[in-house]
Amino acid sequence: MIISFKDADTYIGTGGKSLDNTKRTLCFLHGSGQNHLSFIQQARFFAYKGYSVIVPDMPAHGFSDGNPCKSIKENAEWINDLLVKLNLKDVVIIGHSQGCLVALELNRIFKSFLKSIIFVAGSNIIPVNQFLLDLSEENPQKASEMMVTWGHGIDGDMSINKWPGHSHYGEGNNIMCMNKPTALKYDLNSCNDYLDGINAAKKIKVPTLAVLAKNDQMTPLKSGLKFVELIKNCETHVLDCGHFLPSERPMELNSIINSFLLKLE
Amino acid sequence: MSENYKFDTLSLHAGHIPDKETGSRAVPIYQTTSYVFNSTEEAASLYNMEVGGHLYTRISNPTVAALEQRLAALEGGASALACSSGMAAMHLVVSAICSNGDHIVASSKMYGANINLLQHTMPRFGVKTDFVNPNDPDAIERAIKPNTKLVFGEVIGNPGLDIMDVPEIAKICNSKNIPLVLDATFNTPYLMQPFKHGANIIVHSLTKWLGGHGIAIGGAIVNGGNFDWGDKDKFPTISGRHFALGGISFWEEFGPSALIAKIRAEGMYNFGPSLSPTNAFHLMQGIETLPLRMKKHIENTHSILDFLVNHEMVEWVKHPDLETHPDHQVAKRILPKGSGSIVAFGIKGGREAGKAFIESVQLASHLANVGDAKTLLIHPGSTTHSHLSSEAMKEGGLTDDMIRLSVGLEDINDITKDFERGFKAVKKLNK
Ligand SMILES: Cc1ncc(COP(=O)(O)O)c(C=O)c1O
Repeated sequence: MIISFKDADTYIGTGGKSLDNTKRTLCFLHGSGQNHLSFIQQARFFAYKGYSVIVPDMPAHGFSDGNPCKSIKENAEWINDLLVKLNLKDVVIIGHSQGCLVALELNRIFKSFLKSIIFVAGSNIIPVNQFLLDLSEENPQKASEMMVTWGHGIDGDMSINKWPGHSHYGEGNNIMCMNKPTALKYDLNSCNDYLDGINAAKKIKVPTLAVLAKNDQMTPLKSGLKFVELIKNCETHVLDCGHFLPSERPMELNSIINSFLLKLE
Repeated sequence: MSENYKFDTLSLHAGHIPDKETGSRAVPIYQTTSYVFNSTEEAASLYNMEVGGHLYTRISNPTVAALEQRLAALEGGASALACSSGMAAMHLVVSAICSNGDHIVASSKMYGANINLLQHTMPRFGVKTDFVNPNDPDAIERAIKPNTKLVFGEVIGNPGLDIMDVPEIAKICNSKNIPLVLDATFNTPYLMQPFKHGANIIVHSLTKWLGGHGIAIGGAIVNGGNFDWGDKDKFPTISGRHFALGGISFWEEFGPSALIAKIRAEGMYNFGPSLSPTNAFHLMQGIETLPLRMKKHIENTHSILDFLVNHEMVEWVKHPDLETHPDHQVAKRILPKGSGSIVAFGIKGGREAGKAFIESVQLASHLANVGDAKTLLIHPGSTTHSHLSSEAMKEGGLTDDMIRLSVGLEDINDITKDFERGFKAVKKLNK
């Protein structure tokens, strides 16, 4: 659905079902340079399981207009305001990559509606090398292509895909191309500049789940494992794939998330 | 690790990694119609298109999917779908995008079945086509109307070998937000990758060079993922609400792969032109050697061109790599490795000479196909067009002395020797 939010048309994927704010809502937060299409195989899956699902395109991403947020904090405030506007009472945040940093900051401006956080390919820091930061400004398309290549495990190289006929690289590049050209540089700089993740992680009181990837070259497993140590009782799983867990291992990821959700009150 | 494998490597490997259970190095042939569901929930999630997977071979199959993913990788597309023939692929694309009242702009110089589908069949369903000269981008632009839903042509036309100026035509389509659909059968991704030049959708007859051995009919659609289907009024079948699946909008939920998702959910589901897993396996075997074969096809073609151009019994030779071809400059620019292995030539002595030539060669096979590893010939004047007068053939852009040659991979000296045998028979006749 498209709503007008902060004077901009804002797209929110709902997994093919209507949003029902009386139910538990799963809010998926996409990563740098991505949009709602990172969660093709999660949005419909959980909506058809009976959850209310929202997958917002952050400003200037996917089908959303507006200007890109310029820091993790700004992203978190934007999401917080959106959740308030939608009048949601019971929200589980599921962040992927940059979406995990946004979830950490969202937890800080904690409202009672936040029931749980799920970190997918996450960490408390996501440093970005200067080369990629520069490239995202000079040639965002080239930078996107590099991220798509680095981001996938062997399934990307070998054109293996759980969705028959789909290509991680071809699809991934075009998903990133749908965003406004400036979106990527603000995303990557927001990640690189975010240094308060340790304190933010220690503040988490809600139940958490982390699903990390063994061959993650964007948020390396080592960094992810250190991160989950900072959080009290974070249920942690490691899958054998690259950074783009939601499309590389959709069934395994969905099944882990589903079991975790069933255990939540 | 990210390797960004090159074309030759992808031809061999893309779409398949040996599984842990069997270690089968070759892509297994999953000769099955259906797949056991682990639970009712899993079955429901496949039916609802919540997650990817296989439920019935008319919709998808693991062997066919390996072929599709190999093609997507070789073309640099977002997704691909393989089907029973090149013509099935063409029909699936047209029927997915167009509805009653819509309009198509297409090249006037294409394979007969492509022309027939658009000229005679689709108008019965309210979809009209204007045919224009494929090497005249301005004419294509002028033919576009408000209800035009796609522009279609063959990169290298069959049988006339006209070359479309793909980058120029793509610019026009792009500026008008109309998808450029190209039949890339004659070039294959080895000679040219249309998405790099701005095209949006590729249609292949896999029967020809991609399969390459004349043993299996098959087709494919590769979706560039680079087209914005967001205009719901213009492309209601892709971005509007689907009649099933809870009114899914393919564009909203699948973005770059919206077209393929739509075709799987409607075309494969309701028309059912699925590819057999065994044929998918055969076609993939062919693709493994595509780079090697295409190199040799082009090498032999260039040698044959030399031979024919200098032969006393040959009236004319047509191939885009010859300077005398009207599209030679475009071919040099967009097909730098060569513009395919189909050659047309005229034999001195007209229709009867053509017939004598065809009947006298013994290595080259006289048949109605192209793109086999073996050299193939056909003389339209005494076969496909034998019922037409010389004048009527000329009106259709053909001459009665014309031989269409699909250059194979044999030793070049054996091919030329075989042709000399044919020319000798013609000489005798002309005396
Ligand atoms: C350019 C072109 N496109 C499409 C086709 C149709 O292919 P198929 O026989 O696989 O349906 C052909 C067949 O000759 C062809 O030459």
